[in-house]
Amino acid sequence: MTSCHALPAHAGIGLRAPHLRQVQTERPAVAWFEVHSENYFADGGPALAALDRIRSDYPLSLHGVGLSLGSTDPLARSHLQKLARLMARVDPALVSEHLCWSDVGGRHFNDLLPLPYTDEALSHVCSRIAEVQDFLGREIAVENVSSYLTFAEATIPEWEFVTAVARRSGCKLLLDVNNIYVNAVNHGFSADAYLVAIPPEAVAEIHLAGFDASGPCLIDTHGARVAPPVWALYRKAIARFGPRPTLIEWDLDIPAFAVLAEEAATAQAILTAHHALAA
Amino acid sequence: MPSLRELQCLFSNAVLAAAGTPPAFALAGPVSGAECIAIYRRTIRENYRHALGATYPVVQRLVGPPFFAAAVDAFARARPSRSGDLNEYGDAFGDFLAEYPPAIGLPYLADVARLEWAIDEANRAPDSSLAPDIALAALAILPAERLAASRLRVEPSCRLIASGFPLLRIWQVNQPGFDGDLQVALDAGPDHLRIRREPDGIALERVTEAEFTWLATLARHASLAAALEQAQRADAAFDLGAAMHRFIGDGTIAGICNER
Repeated sequence: MTSCHALPAHAGIGLRAPHLRQVQTERPAVAWFEVHSENYFADGGPALAALDRIRSDYPLSLHGVGLSLGSTDPLARSHLQKLARLMARVDPALVSEHLCWSDVGGRHFNDLLPLPYTDEALSHVCSRIAEVQDFLGREIAVENVSSYLTFAEATIPEWEFVTAVARRSGCKLLLDVNNIYVNAVNHGFSADAYLVAIPPEAVAEIHLAGFDASGPCLIDTHGARVAPPVWALYRKAIARFGPRPTLIEWDLDIPAFAVLAEEAATAQAILTAHHALAA
Repeated sequence: MPSLRELQCLFSNAVLAAAGTPPAFALAGPVSGAECIAIYRRTIRENYRHALGATYPVVQRLVGPPFFAAAVDAFARARPSRSGDLNEYGDAFGDFLAEYPPAIGLPYLADVARLEWAIDEANRAPDSSLAPDIALAALAILPAERLAASRLRVEPSCRLIASGFPLLRIWQVNQPGFDGDLQVALDAGPDHLRIRREPDGIALERVTEAEFTWLATLARHASLAAALEQAQRADAAFDLGAAMHRFIGDGTIAGICNER
């Protein structure tokens, strides 16, 4: 196992099932990988064995999609226990989740649903993050999600809510630059102003993905290449925050691994240019 | 002003309501509430279609994507997810299909789904560390008088599926890359199948009804004597020695449960 316990400030790739075998056999030159934690909650089996081998060659980040941090249902202890078991197994460089909710009244929607940005939601989600961090015994990073509606009750701009979550709970931020762009277009705010509000020291990782623009809103599908305006926003993010571990996510209509590697190379060129500029 | 809890309940009601119903909470922004909720309704629906499509590729192939999508949508309404881990969702899809009116003309469909869920479970089951010779050695040192009361340990990935239809053949001809004769004689059943994870992948094997009964009884932690009795009810000529030889040899029986 690599002894590196932080993600390198390079481009990584979100590893999904169709590429597990190829990555194990070809060991491509990728700085790090990220997987969805829940996909490795199994008790045993080939996927978990593959993850062990990948972990022995690359730094690994665990990205959860099902903890439902913003839910008003009780925190799912069994889910947390499985996450803790997986963390003990693979010693991840980073553990992250989403700033959203997914279940209410025992019914799960298995989707990243938006929070109303209110003082009550802020207090609630901060106490839940604290509960999770206490249980896991480590800091987590939380990701800003894309959204397709704004609650009339919302009193706090999204960027202030996200910043306040990091300040109050002591968690890190996984800043999804595509989600910032999608929300800026959908809700009519300035993506640049959003970036300026984020404290650089809180940003542990950046996500990049593609969206769908065929409907009344931009939809964050993770099913396309990163769009040009998102690359432009990413350049601004790196200029402001400095180089950060940056992940290419692609979860729907997953293309050949080479396409993901191309996207990662584009991100890496931006990171490298910043390193060169700083030197 | 509604609380966070109330807003989440109202959001849930809105997503579950009929298409076009406006949400019962206030929204800001240019897009109508009904349209915003429709986007979430769609993304949620797509998540389940994708997840179950990955678990049930043969069911999907048998009925075609539009039928499959409609069945998943109906399933998600009837048997909602209770877990944040989507991999755990869908265990009841086979039972659901058995009662799903549009599938009434495909009486084998529910069993195909049960087989695919068993394969999925086998892929996620704990790893077994016992080699067949260790299981055999444990049995060999057991005094004969204690053999009947002992409980054999069925390997954790082992699953057993019985069907009135030729389930193995249906599954095989619907695998990607299958290029043989696609004809299936539906009256060529019944099938009793043992599914388990082997080092090279999932292995599906036909067993006899008596072997099936014997393994199923052992898997419920019954004694060897009780399992033998059940197997002999299925077939008076059940050969215990041959069954032990076969299923210890292939690793289905992975040892003896510790005496209490």
